[in-house]
Amino acid sequence: MIPVTVLTGFLGAGKTTLLNRILTEQHGRKLAVIENEFGEVGVDHQLVIAGEEELFEMNNGCICCSVRGDLIRILGRLLKRKDRLDGVLIETTGLANPAPVAQTFFSDDEIRAAFQLDAIVTVVDAKHVAQHLDAGDESVKQIAFADVILLNKTDLVAPADLDRLEARIRTINAVARVHRTQNCAVPLDQILDVGGFNLDRATELDPKFLEPEYPFEWAGAYALPAGSHELAIGRGGDHDHDHGEPGHEHHHHHHGNGNELDVVVLPVQSLHEVELDRARSRAMALFAGEPAPVAGGSVVEAGPARHRLLLAEGSGQFVLEIARPGLHAVFEECGEVPLHIQVAGETVKPQWQEDFHAAHEHNDEVTSVGIREPGELDGKRLNAWMSELLRTKGGDIYRMKGVLSIKGSDKRMVFQGVHMLFDGRFDRPWGHELRSNTLVLIGKNLDRAALTEAFRGCLA
Amino acid sequence: MQLTKHWAAQLDDYVIDLAWSPDGGLLAAASGAGPVRLLGAGDGGARQELAGHAAGTNAIGWKPRSIGAPSQPGHAILATGGQDGAVKFWDGETGQHTATTRLGAGWVEHLAWTQSCLAAAAGRKLSLLNTDGSITHAFPDAPKTITALAWRGAMTGTPPSTSSISASHLSGSLPLPPLLAIAYFGGVRLIDGQDFSVRKELPYANGIQALVWSPDGRWLVSGNQDPSVHLWIPDEEAELQMSGYEGKVKHLAFDHGSRWLATAGGHDACLWDCAGAGPEGRTPAMLPHDSPVCALAFQHDHGLLATAASDGTVMLWSPERKQPLRATVKMPHAPTRLAWSPDDRLLAIGSEKGAVYVLKSDS
Repeated sequence: MIPVTVLTGFLGAGKTTLLNRILTEQHGRKLAVIENEFGEVGVDHQLVIAGEEELFEMNNGCICCSVRGDLIRILGRLLKRKDRLDGVLIETTGLANPAPVAQTFFSDDEIRAAFQLDAIVTVVDAKHVAQHLDAGDESVKQIAFADVILLNKTDLVAPADLDRLEARIRTINAVARVHRTQNCAVPLDQILDVGGFNLDRATELDPKFLEPEYPFEWAGAYALPAGSHELAIGRGGDHDHDHGEPGHEHHHHHHGNGNELDVVVLPVQSLHEVELDRARSRAMALFAGEPAPVAGGSVVEAGPARHRLLLAEGSGQFVLEIARPGLHAVFEECGEVPLHIQVAGETVKPQWQEDFHAAHEHNDEVTSVGIREPGELDGKRLNAWMSELLRTKGGDIYRMKGVLSIKGSDKRMVFQGVHMLFDGRFDRPWGHELRSNTLVLIGKNLDRAALTEAFRGCLA
Repeated sequence: MQLTKHWAAQLDDYVIDLAWSPDGGLLAAASGAGPVRLLGAGDGGARQELAGHAAGTNAIGWKPRSIGAPSQPGHAILATGGQDGAVKFWDGETGQHTATTRLGAGWVEHLAWTQSCLAAAAGRKLSLLNTDGSITHAFPDAPKTITALAWRGAMTGTPPSTSSISASHLSGSLPLPPLLAIAYFGGVRLIDGQDFSVRKELPYANGIQALVWSPDGRWLVSGNQDPSVHLWIPDEEAELQMSGYEGKVKHLAFDHGSRWLATAGGHDACLWDCAGAGPEGRTPAMLPHDSPVCALAFQHDHGLLATAASDGTVMLWSPERKQPLRATVKMPHAPTRLAWSPDDRLLAIGSEKGAVYVLKSDS
């Protein structure tokens, strides 16, 4: 299969710079270039072909069913040679929606048999992309579809702005590799043959991304004796903020009232991962329930309840009642608010603590949802759910990738999709690897909770 | 019956097109890289080497002999179309490049001759050319890139696996007025070859890969991306749709009697009986191959159908017989083109690796 790299990005972002860099540095390989803005690439390269974007709308103009007719024709012609090509680069116009390009590689049997979409590389102008994202135009799709994103022209932007921009890009597309570049200077092994559509990569995702979005931001486990202890919230007194690393940056958002803080305190048997996981799940369930308000100076009892601590100017003192001595996990809604437990005047250090991805308030309606579930899936139920999902939400789901464990098969099911087009197959056996399911969706108006729940419903 | 090797020749690249000269004396073989070689029918010797098109040649076609005119071997004219957006004309005897017509930036991918002029498609542009390279008529751009051309009742078409019939069986009936069918994503347009007006629009809401007319001019058939075959009887406002193909249908051929329509979009060649009301409701004959079928060609005046598959297998079939398979040969490389000589005795096979094989069929 001949690898194909698609270069997208707005006009002026640096696509042509990248293209010329690839052609210069890869002169030993037989690469064909299909470009849309002709005349920008060095003409001494013999296999530069000017394409004119021609959409084939297979189904009444539905973009999910559109393919690029010119690519079918040009790629078909590129196969008519005695010697194999080493690769194909496709440059799209600045305003192009990447969907029809990607869909071409799914829907045309001849193209599918001979070519493999290696990666969609999106070049982003770090200085101007924010305004495009605000306008909600095709640049959002170009980022959402990308396997690799070059955050280019970094020299024109302050580092703090770059961090903000990268964080914003991450909320849209959590699985793409992001490189910060000037003049698109990036090692070419990060651009070519990266296997972006290769599903093995779906398991190399940032594990944080795959966690569910917890309704709490911080948890700590303390060894506490039975009795009444002091629970101090806020920066009152001269206490240090004793959880979280110094300088640790939460992507902090104020959750409603700054004078309320919801907590859950649960006894745990041990710090074993199974125990902690059970406590997390219970806390999640409790956070979904109604909170009971607790006025300053009042009692908080350890056990299955969601307490809403009422604060004054962000601080408050409460009494923590512990019935049985032992480890207790405290889940805190907002990780930024200092929380201390004092036993007989001594501050107790947590023996374990964890920061969680909070359910951010996303500004961009295009986001990524990752689901990781251990266990095996029922093939029939998965199929039914997937069909229904693509039928009803296919227009909003830009890309989907995953590695799944299907009951009855000892092989991994790897799949990927673009809008309503979907390609799944069994690859290698699981062997000694732990069977689990990893699924990533990138799209518009995705409901993480509903998707996760529906996916769990497919477990055998 | 027997298929025996007659000769073989080697081009520098993928054999993208093959065409026998009208008198059968020369086989023009085009390499995808550009050069076109004129090979002697008797021994495969290289008679002429034409430069073709620098960025690659896409299609070739000989100007057909005029009906009733004596054979004039010295004046056979070959047209070639290439990636450079040009049509070039060559003298088949001397190899002389006689004219060039530039049609624009688009690739010239389709050529189709009538007795007097050449239709050439480059991107969305369609032009009618004279043999001296002058443009008789340039049409307004088609709605999308033109993907196939076919003259009704044409002498030779392009690609050669579509309509290739000789003049003989048309004698006795009046020649049909020239009518050109052009296909693009979205439909087929029928153009009057004399006043250049659009005679009919035949909408089809998908991509079209190939077009063929039945030799009697009754049926017009498209091979489609979706994947299916669509049949029109333009004079009767009738149309039929045949679906169920494995992949897009790129190969079509009609037998000289206008009865058998051979189609391929997958591992089987599929043969429809178009007698009477046509193939609707009939079960097609499946002519199986072990790998995807990549070329089809009916003989000009006889009944044999040649099919080729990407594993190198070439098979000959007689549609009328109960056991239609007549012969099987295996080529070392995947075939790209099949072309019967005008007398139907020689079958030329082009391959992906540049080899051209010519087989002799003896029944």
